[in-house]
Amino acid sequence: MNALVALCHFCELHGPRTLFCTEAVHPPAPSPPQPGSALLGDREAEREGEGLTMRANSSATQRADMCEGCRSLPVSHPGFVSVDTETGIRFLSHQHPRQAQLFSVVRQACVRSLSCEVCPGREGPIFFGDEQHGFVFSHTFFIKDSLARGFQRWYSIVMVAMDRIYLINSWPFLLRHLKLTIQSLQSTALKVFDSEQGVCPQRAVRMNSAFSPAVFPHQRSGNAARSLPSLTQHPNLWASLHASFSWLLKACGSRLTEKLLEGAPTEDTLVLIERQTEQEEEMNAEGAGGKSESAQCRDFLFGDDGKGEEYCGPNFRSLRHLRQVLGAAEFRQLAWHVLMGNQVIWRGTDRGLIQSAFNVLKTLLPVGCVRVEAYSSQYEEAYRYNFLGLSPDVQIPAHVSSSEFTVLVDVLNVEQGCVHVVCDDDVLSLYQFSISSANTQPVDKGPTLLNKLEVALTNENLSVEVVSHCLLCLKEEWMNKVKVLFKFTKVDGRGRDDTQKVLVLLGATGPGEEDNVRLLKFWMTGLSKTYKSHLMTAVRSIDVICKSGNERVSKRSSTYPVSV
Amino acid sequence: MAPTLLQKLFSKKTPGTTSSSGTGAAPELCWASAEFDLAQIRLIVHQDCERRGRQVLFDSKAIRKLDPSEPNAEETKVPPARSGACQINSKASQKESPPTYQYTRPASDVNMLGEMMFGSVAMSYKGSTLKIHHIRSPPQLMVSKVFSTRHGSSNTGSTNTLQDSFESISQTCPSHTSSLAHSNPVDMPGRGHSEDGDSGIARSASLSSFLATPMPSPGSSSSSGCASSYQRRLLRSQATSLQHGPIPRWSTEEMFSLSDESCSSNPAMARRRKKIAVSIIISLPEKEEESHSFQEFFFSHFPLFESHMNKLKTAIERAIIVCRRVAEASQRVQVYLCRVMEALGEFRMTVWNLYMAPRITEPVWLTMVSQSAERNQLCQRFLKEMSVLMEHGAKTQFLSALLTAVLMYHLAWVPTVMPSNHLPIKPVCQKPASHTVDLLAKSHPYNPLWAQLGDLYGALGSPVRVCRTVVVGRRRELVQRVLYILSYFIRCSDLQENAQPQGHTDSPANPCPAQYSNSAPLSERTNETPLIPKSEAAKPPVCTENTNDKTLSANVDGANDAPVSERTSKKAPKSDSAGPSPLPEPTSERLACADPGWEPFGDATDPVGGGLEHILANQSPPVQRVKFTIGSPRESDHDGQRCGRGLHRKLPHRRLADMRRNESSDSSLGDSDEEETASPSQQAYTPATETAREYELPLPSCQTESRASVNHFGRSLLGGYCPQYMPDFALHGISSDQRLKQCLMTDLEHTVLHPALDEPVAEAVCIVADTDRLCVQVATSQRRVCEPGRLGRDVMVSSLVHTLLTSVLQLHTLNIAADFCVMHLEDRLQEIYFKSCSLAEYLRGQRRVHVKELGLALGIESSDLPLLAAVASTHSPYVAQILL
Repeated sequence: MNALVALCHFCELHGPRTLFCTEAVHPPAPSPPQPGSALLGDREAEREGEGLTMRANSSATQRADMCEGCRSLPVSHPGFVSVDTETGIRFLSHQHPRQAQLFSVVRQACVRSLSCEVCPGREGPIFFGDEQHGFVFSHTFFIKDSLARGFQRWYSIVMVAMDRIYLINSWPFLLRHLKLTIQSLQSTALKVFDSEQGVCPQRAVRMNSAFSPAVFPHQRSGNAARSLPSLTQHPNLWASLHASFSWLLKACGSRLTEKLLEGAPTEDTLVLIERQTEQEEEMNAEGAGGKSESAQCRDFLFGDDGKGEEYCGPNFRSLRHLRQVLGAAEFRQLAWHVLMGNQVIWRGTDRGLIQSAFNVLKTLLPVGCVRVEAYSSQYEEAYRYNFLGLSPDVQIPAHVSSSEFTVLVDVLNVEQGCVHVVCDDDVLSLYQFSISSANTQPVDKGPTLLNKLEVALTNENLSVEVVSHCLLCLKEEWMNKVKVLFKFTKVDGRGRDDTQKVLVLLGATGPGEEDNVRLLKFWMTGLSKTYKSHLMTAVRSIDVICKSGNERVSKRSSTYPVSV
Repeated sequence: MAPTLLQKLFSKKTPGTTSSSGTGAAPELCWASAEFDLAQIRLIVHQDCERRGRQVLFDSKAIRKLDPSEPNAEETKVPPARSGACQINSKASQKESPPTYQYTRPASDVNMLGEMMFGSVAMSYKGSTLKIHHIRSPPQLMVSKVFSTRHGSSNTGSTNTLQDSFESISQTCPSHTSSLAHSNPVDMPGRGHSEDGDSGIARSASLSSFLATPMPSPGSSSSSGCASSYQRRLLRSQATSLQHGPIPRWSTEEMFSLSDESCSSNPAMARRRKKIAVSIIISLPEKEEESHSFQEFFFSHFPLFESHMNKLKTAIERAIIVCRRVAEASQRVQVYLCRVMEALGEFRMTVWNLYMAPRITEPVWLTMVSQSAERNQLCQRFLKEMSVLMEHGAKTQFLSALLTAVLMYHLAWVPTVMPSNHLPIKPVCQKPASHTVDLLAKSHPYNPLWAQLGDLYGALGSPVRVCRTVVVGRRRELVQRVLYILSYFIRCSDLQENAQPQGHTDSPANPCPAQYSNSAPLSERTNETPLIPKSEAAKPPVCTENTNDKTLSANVDGANDAPVSERTSKKAPKSDSAGPSPLPEPTSERLACADPGWEPFGDATDPVGGGLEHILANQSPPVQRVKFTIGSPRESDHDGQRCGRGLHRKLPHRRLADMRRNESSDSSLGDSDEEETASPSQQAYTPATETAREYELPLPSCQTESRASVNHFGRSLLGGYCPQYMPDFALHGISSDQRLKQCLMTDLEHTVLHPALDEPVAEAVCIVADTDRLCVQVATSQRRVCEPGRLGRDVMVSSLVHTLLTSVLQLHTLNIAADFCVMHLEDRLQEIYFKSCSLAEYLRGQRRVHVKELGLALGIESSDLPLLAAVASTHSPYVAQILL
């Protein structure tokens, strides 16, 4: 807990004194799940610098106006520390807190608890405080001392925090446990007291000794110096108190725990994690074998930034850029093929350019639907790769080039042999693009997602980042429809009529309906295994529930108490 | 009447309470385990004046109501029926003549209580102080707020006149002045709230100071769920950290006003300091168990109690100010008593209702979070109820409107749909519990109850807005249905309590475990302990003191120290070491010197035998100094110079140099020799070369078991169909909006001024859903409604929300598994979150919004804009600035 605990004593000679203090020192803020951490870390460091830290001459604490009763650890004692290994919180105990501000806070708390605040019966809990001095839960108590005035000494344990609500919320807990601490000290001291009285009854001694006002204080000054370890005959009391106080701080801070839910990961995240896991397994199996595969995986995981940015030649930077270069109609056609799940083949000499085109285009799809072979020297079948880069000399089989499920982009060099290009990204000045497909379907009706995306791409007021956010929204929206359709058709195995109803309620019907449905079906292949298997198992368990459904209904009516 | 499904959901759990509610209507969970008598709450207003000493300004025990029809002294003596509302008669009988009160002699304990309120030593701290006392017999809790008084420049009357009146009338009671209280022409306009609320204070504040630390947009790179929850909690942990000393989080200037002009305080008055304590004393039930459960409730719900106390204090202020305008003494007292009694009645009623009102037995969201086993059934129930309601309110799109408002203001659902970045261990439908937040809570503890309260009130956005929802309607079942459905959308974290298993007595809190505290006589015990040589131990302890000192030093030097090693090894086996090992060696790798430095104002500065005044004056850095005065208040009149010193400097940044300077300059104020030695110039600071290496000891641990916590806001602030309007509940239902209309605006204004959330709040909002008229309105502290009879403005239905609801319910109609429908609902809520990210990204760097453009470009309809903006403000604080 963000607090400190201190044992205070009202010394007969010196008034209220702080004897022993345990603080919790928290590690620097853990990194939040967002880049905001850097910001906070800086702030933390900044504040750290504010903290006043000085070392006082240790002889200062050795002054004559301190007596044994006012002191806990001897000056030479470095204090105690306990570390909570799980959290890194360190609990430090000294006679006084080591920070100047905290010193005065504890001093305040000590004086107030023993000299200012009034507790009926003088023993018991009080809460007091304000924003400026912090808030204090204090419990005062007596300890028996055969030599003290009235045969007892007055102590308090204070817990100081800035979060008053937290401290007040913890009242019952603190009271319960401090009572244990106090009762334990009291009963131990009582036994010492009893045995001392048995040896030498002080009451009788005092009654018999002549009272002399002049010598009175001096006479008993030695007595006033009794320390708590002496009163309890517990030579390691301070180490024990350190342990108790440290535990109290920790236990009070973890008394209540929150169960806080966050959203399920997106399908993209799930697929990426699945692929990574698979990759790791393969790596383990093959040793260093599948390097290219793992590189590809990294591709997926880290959004291709590595490759795309290293490459300095002409490349496509965004969907909007691609659209500008290709032209609106050509882009529409290409994007349409991508979204329908057709194979997209780019053929040309500039490997980097083709790679960048794929990097841009694949953002149109859920991660689970993307299978890229960035550059190959031979044709690969569509079921293996829906993005395929080929060197210019590779022949495409006839059944492929005549297929309506394929689109081919040939990258033709405009000026060959012009070497002065360095980082020129004027792709148009270098290349021409020829797009061909045997597809006869119209590409200008749907899918709805593409229509909406084009609106955003066209609007120059929207930054590239905004467009990519819009695309993310659209994809998630359609992914959610995909999930419903999957559940409906694959898991529950519903008929055509019902499916049509679902399409209506999903908003997939209307103009471009055919394309929407194609998109949904293609995207279904990209659902994560985790998700699919969950739905399948859920169905099985639901089946079980449904079978016992009738039974449950009857049970329900019987378990309801008729309360009139 | 056959019990419906809904009745089951709202069924009462507490046994033994069924008989009292013979209404035949659906019972609901009753919170309290014990009856609560209104007379258990006593109010004392006490004044501490430097000149005149202490005076009681009010003691509800000393008030007698003189009313021929009701001879009972306190109108509240008779506790209301358990099932019924607690209504104070004075309201009802207002149209008749107001009650007349007699002020008798204060009770005998009042002086003692005064001591407790003010303390035995006067403190010169000017801000308000909070105190809680536990009085053992008779068992009572006393909560006191002590304020410094503030006078206007013109009026020097103060409370003396009131006190004089009390003294002059002593025990007689004139009754002919009774009507004055309510015909008083100078009635107050709600303590100037209107200026605060409307003049732009809240608004301008909302644009600057209330904006939390900006965070990068969640859409950028690695967005993760619960980032905003995390942020809120981390900031809280830092704000309440003690590691950098006390940093006042907000103004401590809260004072007790004795006049209308609140701005300038007369410097002449400042010297004659006066304090006023407002104390609430609650008698605890005699049965141990009942007392325990009330205390658990009281302490966990303290922020709510405190907020109502603040309201009470404001009413007392007004009563004093208003009554002083009355010339005639006895009339003055009547006006005063009437007003304070009315405010006390209000307070008692609120507390009673807070404790006794029915709660939703199974709030949908929390039940889903805590029990995953019954999930499917729960989903089915939930969807069924939602379908029925959707149909019922189809014409006015009632449910869509209500959900639009709820999703817009009770924003805690947002972090629960923000996608997480890691693979769920459990099935997909079961959302992962946030690991990062869990870790944070351990390493940087914050108050989970506070976090939960903020969640329920939806205080996640920026500027911080807090919201409540009230469902009004005569048809109990319908209202309960609405409440039930909303308990899915109004979300918060679930709390668990980690406690030692019952019957476990061996607590690490015990510093003297069996070895020392067993019943063996001392002589035997010392025999067991090898540490203390017999000869010494046998001597009277007077002589062993030095020995003890030696022993401790010996420990440091690594000499024999069996008991400690025994104990520690018992608790943590890993530190087990053979033989009589000393305390663990100083660890070289773990240097406890993150804040290396000894206390600069060490005990050397302690004066000997000086008064408290000196002790403190020397000890604390001057900026935080509190003046203590001992003895009679008159003595301190000499100290005017000191009182005048600014004790109020706020020190967000403290510098060593400042402190030194102040320290030395301050010492000149002192009048004792000791103070000279306190000057740091005489203190030698050793350079920080030698670092302190603390002896490392294992951290004791003890077995804990976690169980569902009962006393948390998630369970207590989701109310059922209540007999009366409740100002605290995040959600509840009532049958009539009569009282709601009376109180709502005042309550909202009060919420902004004294938020129970313990952090500044820019706006307070209340969603009012009327199930009779099927309409939804939103009332806010920022805009007053001109139209009479209306509580707020109507809600524009968000088409996103409407289509979301429609499609989820259609899926349900198509017999898709309920579980899946709810998953889909969550997916659709996530879509709203993603859209809000788009909006935030679009608004980044913009100055104003073109709604048309938003519609075209982002596919955001204008009806969705308020919702999306509110959602965006939870992760991108700048959004509010642009859209406001």
